Amino acid sequence: MKRKVNHPAPSSRELSGPRYWRSLDELVDTPGFQEQLAREFPDDAANLNGVDRRHFFKLMAASFALGGMGLATGCRRPESNIRPYGKSVEGVIPGLPQYFATSFPLRGSALPLLAETHEGRPTKLEGNPTYANYGGASSLLAQASVLELYDPERATAHTIDGRTVTPVAVQDKLASIYEAAAASNGAGLAILAESSSSPSRARLVAELKRKLPQAIWAEYDAVADEAPVAAAQASFGRRVKPVYHFEKAKRVVALDADFLSAEAGSLGYARDFAKGRKVLKAGDPMNRLYAVESTFTLTGSMADHRLRLASSYLKAFAAALYIKLTGDNQAEPLVGDLDFKDRDAWLEACAQDLRDHEGECLVVAGAHQPATVHAIAYAINAFLGNFGKTVEFVELPANPATSLSALATAAAAGQVSTLVVLGGNPAYNAPADLDFAAIAGAAGEVVRYSYYVDETSVLAGTQIAATHYLESWGDARTTDGTVVPVQPMILPLFDGFTELEVVARLAGLETTDPYSITFDTITRMAGGVAEDVFRKFLHDGLLDGSAYRPVTVRFDRNGAAGLFAGFEDWPVLSATNLEVRFTFDHKVDDGRFANNGWLQECPDPITKISWDNAILVSPVLGKQLGIEPGGSLIQVARKELAEYPQGKENAVIGELTVNGVTVRGPMHIQPGLADWTVVLPLGYGRTVSGHVGEGTGFDAYPARMSSAPHFVTGATLVATDDRYLLANTQEHWSMEGRDIVREANKEEYDETPNYVDIHTIESHAPANLGKDKDMALGLAASTTPRGQSLYETPDFDGVHQWGMSIDLNTCIGCNACVIACQAENNIPIVGKDQVLRGREMHWIRLDRYYSDGKIDAAAFGGEGNKEIPSDPQASIMPVACMQCELAPCETVCPVNATVHDDEGLNVMAYNRCIGTRYCANNCPYKVRRFNFFDWNDRSLDQLYLGPVGDKGMPELAQMAKNPEVTVRMRGVMEKCTYCVQRIQNAKIAQKVKARDSDNVVVPDGTIKTACQQVCPVSAIEFGNIKDPASAVSLAKAREQDYALLGYLNIRPRTTYLGKLRNPNPAMPDYGALPLSRVEYDSKNHPGGHGEGHGDAHGGHGDAHADEHAAPAQGEDHSHEEAESHEPAGHTSIMKHALRTGGLS
Amino acid sequence: MAHAESAAAPAILSEVKPAELPRATLVENHRSFSWITDKICGIIEGKTPGWWWVCFALACFVASWTVAGITYLVATGVGVWGHANPVNWAWDIVNFVFWIGIGHAGTLISAILCLLRQKWRTSINRAAEAMTIFAVVCAGIFPVFHVGRVWFAWYLFPIPNANEIWQNFRSPLEWDVFAVSTYGTVSVLFWYVGLIPDLAILRDRFFKAGNKVRSFLYGLFAMGWRGANRHWSNYEMAYLVLAGISTPLVLSVHTIVSFDFAVSLLPGWHTTIFPPYFVAGAIFSGFGMVLTLMLPLRAVFKLEDLITQYHIDCMCKITLATGTIVGYAYGMEFFIAWYGANPNEGFAFINRAFGHYAWAYWIMISCNVITPQFFWFKAVRNNTAVVWVLSIFVNVGMWFERFVIIVTSLARDFLPSSWGYYSPSIVEIFTFFGTFGVFSVLFLLFIRFLPIMPMAEIKGVMPQADPHAGHDHH
Repeated sequence: MKRKVNHPAPSSRELSGPRYWRSLDELVDTPGFQEQLAREFPDDAANLNGVDRRHFFKLMAASFALGGMGLATGCRRPESNIRPYGKSVEGVIPGLPQYFATSFPLRGSALPLLAETHEGRPTKLEGNPTYANYGGASSLLAQASVLELYDPERATAHTIDGRTVTPVAVQDKLASIYEAAAASNGAGLAILAESSSSPSRARLVAELKRKLPQAIWAEYDAVADEAPVAAAQASFGRRVKPVYHFEKAKRVVALDADFLSAEAGSLGYARDFAKGRKVLKAGDPMNRLYAVESTFTLTGSMADHRLRLASSYLKAFAAALYIKLTGDNQAEPLVGDLDFKDRDAWLEACAQDLRDHEGECLVVAGAHQPATVHAIAYAINAFLGNFGKTVEFVELPANPATSLSALATAAAAGQVSTLVVLGGNPAYNAPADLDFAAIAGAAGEVVRYSYYVDETSVLAGTQIAATHYLESWGDARTTDGTVVPVQPMILPLFDGFTELEVVARLAGLETTDPYSITFDTITRMAGGVAEDVFRKFLHDGLLDGSAYRPVTVRFDRNGAAGLFAGFEDWPVLSATNLEVRFTFDHKVDDGRFANNGWLQECPDPITKISWDNAILVSPVLGKQLGIEPGGSLIQVARKELAEYPQGKENAVIGELTVNGVTVRGPMHIQPGLADWTVVLPLGYGRTVSGHVGEGTGFDAYPARMSSAPHFVTGATLVATDDRYLLANTQEHWSMEGRDIVREANKEEYDETPNYVDIHTIESHAPANLGKDKDMALGLAASTTPRGQSLYETPDFDGVHQWGMSIDLNTCIGCNACVIACQAENNIPIVGKDQVLRGREMHWIRLDRYYSDGKIDAAAFGGEGNKEIPSDPQASIMPVACMQCELAPCETVCPVNATVHDDEGLNVMAYNRCIGTRYCANNCPYKVRRFNFFDWNDRSLDQLYLGPVGDKGMPELAQMAKNPEVTVRMRGVMEKCTYCVQRIQNAKIAQKVKARDSDNVVVPDGTIKTACQQVCPVSAIEFGNIKDPASAVSLAKAREQDYALLGYLNIRPRTTYLGKLRNPNPAMPDYGALPLSRVEYDSKNHPGGHGEGHGDAHGGHGDAHADEHAAPAQGEDHSHEEAESHEPAGHTSIMKHALRTGGLS
Repeated sequence: MAHAESAAAPAILSEVKPAELPRATLVENHRSFSWITDKICGIIEGKTPGWWWVCFALACFVASWTVAGITYLVATGVGVWGHANPVNWAWDIVNFVFWIGIGHAGTLISAILCLLRQKWRTSINRAAEAMTIFAVVCAGIFPVFHVGRVWFAWYLFPIPNANEIWQNFRSPLEWDVFAVSTYGTVSVLFWYVGLIPDLAILRDRFFKAGNKVRSFLYGLFAMGWRGANRHWSNYEMAYLVLAGISTPLVLSVHTIVSFDFAVSLLPGWHTTIFPPYFVAGAIFSGFGMVLTLMLPLRAVFKLEDLITQYHIDCMCKITLATGTIVGYAYGMEFFIAWYGANPNEGFAFINRAFGHYAWAYWIMISCNVITPQFFWFKAVRNNTAVVWVLSIFVNVGMWFERFVIIVTSLARDFLPSSWGYYSPSIVEIFTFFGTFGVFSVLFLLFIRFLPIMPMAEIKGVMPQADPHAGHDHH
């Protein structure tokens, strides 16, 4: 259904073609009309109340005429080309969305996108599938970026010395800066920008440097990735960076590298990694991941072997592994006093595993690790013959920018009279020792160009409002260097400037129109017929063949020798000498997304905290600090991480002192941290932001120095008496030995592919399927069932039967689906106070469970375990409405507001719902969400004021809504609908196509739900389960397929593919069973398997006595007679049917 | 027994001499008919006592909390209460079940005891029935106003309308609608029919006293009652029929209320024991409430001759019996949870007893299981003050029973990821306590303006009414 339509670039025929006009005034070009044009974006549009309706429609109409933008060279504004919407724009069918290619630039890379626009209004972003590396996937940040376009609190006005000025005055200002600088060859002018991948900006910067050779062009980003490049420079003597091919890597060692979610390019890496992770049938190969890390990252949660190690020791670890592999004893000093449990055995087994997979393995280091670690990683990869196979190096263009510290030096020397700060937010996120306020103070004049009025704007005399990237022309490069367009979807809502224009004006260039600049850059770069090239560029959303050139490199041990220096002073970590690790938040990044409500409310994938950051401390340290929560006297469940004054986490505030600076923040006990590592997530505690961003979390930047921006030792942490409420969306961390996430090791899976059926409560329950248990899938789904029920169950006689499959083995828990769903389905945010009460509205959530192999049941007699685990395994499970065929929510709704349709959807009739909430109570998955207040119509700080408070949604916020989805009012229940609007659109389109034929079945793959579309690892399959050849049917036919809580006989249409772990039997921490399974077995089969329920299992009871004999960590694991497993009860209707022959 | 024994062993006893079981005296001190009429009508005819005004003002004030709480709720949203995922029902439904349960004693006394010819019911049934009606009023507030969009609550009723959507007759909430509305209607009818002869007495007395207005009003509602034989005959028949109709309601209403839980699939709710256990609990709580109300009434209006120690004894014994049934049910729930071998179910019950809500569970156990056991002792039953205090405990315990069932089951269900902890908001607390005000206002009006005891029926069970009075009882 998706159409990619580029903005029709004006052809020469069009330019000379008939002239359109809006009125006779325009035709004769009266002064009155000129003024009206100028007033089309009047100053008062730039106030916090947002654009009003009339202006919005004007803008909308105008955005359709963007195609004509290239005409007026030198003039940014497209007024002369605006045509009335009365003449329809090519390709537009009112009511149907259009898709345009653009990209989301972030720091030194960009994410190619298709933007869905409704009558010229972008509402939803999707990855551009033309860019094969990402395959249409996108990230959480990209998904949420559309909300910022409509943020009423973005900078909407230009100001000089506090006065609002016109864009013309800004242009004059920039011109005067250039002229002043030109007089002195640029001396005195300093520009501090964020890093950018834009070739156009690079071109403009080069121009600027040429015209103003003495001007300082500095770049600063809080999130830096220089170390890999610096190490490569030393190791190979060239400016190159590594590009990894995880799909080819059978063994991966991650050295403090969160390559699945936090490193540059992680979207593609996650996708590639998942390819090696996905196992379709027994015997298929599966990659193995060793993660050594100080924090608990998503990569760590996917690891088969996870070693907790302070970041400061990673250098030693890398060296130790290097020595084990190469025998290069010269690196011995690097190892220092490294020690951890079973050190030698661990290293030896890991090294042997890598040796066994030469050329098929990969060692990656985190970008925050020093160049030494990267150099060692390169050395290992070189030694193992991975170069050119699993790792490639690409040539990077030179970057002429200087650093922030150089700028600080120059400013201190009085060499900066005018400082222009382009983007970024150095006053907030620059290293504390560089003291940006002093830099700004030393400069006579500070000009600030930014999207928000922020901490840096406060220091500036001149504030220039930036456009959103969805309002801008530009270009960017993806991580691998492919050039992608930044194409506007809408005219600037406020009179913002694009960065290209600002730089062009600072460089005194004649051409300042960003469209022309981009056009020139791209067409020069690509050659060929300029018009055609550019049109194709915009259409495809990328420039073919523009990726960075791979180069062949040889590791030069001598060149890197400088990096191979040992420890001067081995850091001995303890409770009094803690390591502090600064991390960038999953959601607000370095703080730039602080005012984005979707991101703020999205729970952190590991801690599950929303709206705040917290000082993360290990359970051991937590105990020492006395902040461990108290458990109940008699243990019923594992100890909570949360205590309950208001219902959620009541965290103790801690004071952390490092680098002579003390920061205060709430402490959260995080299982899986290195014992003496304290994690400080950056990006919170903004003081000048909007309503959304201010007052969330604490600011850790003041403790961060330029000498050690990523981790530092020597910190102390004390608990205070103060408390702070953290909005933690998942209070309980343990699965309690239940068969929720069903896991197995790869070996067990190879022998018993249907392990999900055996190690489960259903294996003890009577068969749910009754007489239909042998029926083919299509039949089972569309005939009247089943299960020996007295009830007439719905007739599923629609032409499609919708179903979903979620692969737990590849899901990395990145949260992108949560935000994609929020954008697609107009899901409101509710604010921290309401999340604290447990009223978050997300239709899909990611449950994160820790397992340590111990359970509470023993607490009732035997060895109890009341601890919060120090070194758990994490299992992540996306949960949304399962569209149960026998939906428990439906039977209890007294007014028939939630009912089944003939295609198996559990549909909500919002208009019929009176809000008894009975359905939510009876939903075993707790996926239904209730509108406790008018989230959409009331401001979040006035929810309790009722009718006394303000009413109505700001116009700007309304623009962000998807017009195809109802905005729900208070008192109404809502939930996932499998994106029913997308289903209906596809069905309508198919019916139109089918005309009189019966071919109304939507082809497989046409419909992608929002969560499925965004998923980088393709964990979600959705489609017609009536079609045995559809992707979802094939997924459900796999033996790992299981229904969560299947024993309830509610027959969910969403089923899961069991999780697999692939530990190395030679490793000292090898466990024959994943820890969650150990918990399941010891909870449900405490005295071994033969006891009590042998009959239910028929013959296999005894055969598996050893396997069920509880904690099997380290035990040998045997699987004789695996074939005797005949599950007594099946859960998924689909599964059994499909396995017995599919649709007949 | 005696007959059977004597028939089996004629050789031992030459003559059958059944033991003379003394009939309990239902009205002490050989009071006359006119004393009873004067006593009960006197309450209405006399000057409004000062304490009544104090209590009434206080009750109105407390009732205003409910009014204010509901107004705020409707104006603002259900969010003003403490509900959240996963606890989507809490005090609202707890209070609903609590109040509905209380009503059951009234119906039991008036209907079942009537059919069983338990004559001791006469002096308490009027007030107990009034209590039933007022409790249903209080109960009705919650299911109506707990919904998200109360202005659409009429969707619950099968009213012909343009939507042409039927209600979902599979939903226990829909059954509730019919059960509770039927119950309310029948209770009001039953109560009113019983009132008619007494209203006529009041009409006549006010007429004689020259109070035309009140005479007219009572006369209006007495519907021309003249005490004729045909009237009595029809009256007795109507009363019997209504008693017959009400009897199944005693069992059905709380059975259906229990279905709200039993029909769901939540561990802790999904139990077949609920219907009998809820009915027993309802009667238990209802008798607790009757005792709580009648004992002060007895003291204030000096009704010791009419509500005798025998009455109190009877009520205490019923409380003891039903309380013990409830205690048995608590134990049986645990047994089934263990015997059923469903780990989720097992967890739900262990969690109730020892989890985060253990405090509520043990309040419930102490109040509902331990408290009634004191009624084994005659000394306790004879001590009115102690009985009254214990009856308060029964009320508290039964409120907590519903809290334990509803909240603990919801707070920790299948997926630990969504486990939560519920605390009420101040609005909820005030709305609930306000309903005691609503109840009190209604009850105070009742004791002020209507005969609190059925005079005619009491007279009917007095020795004077017995044509064989003073003679052989055969």
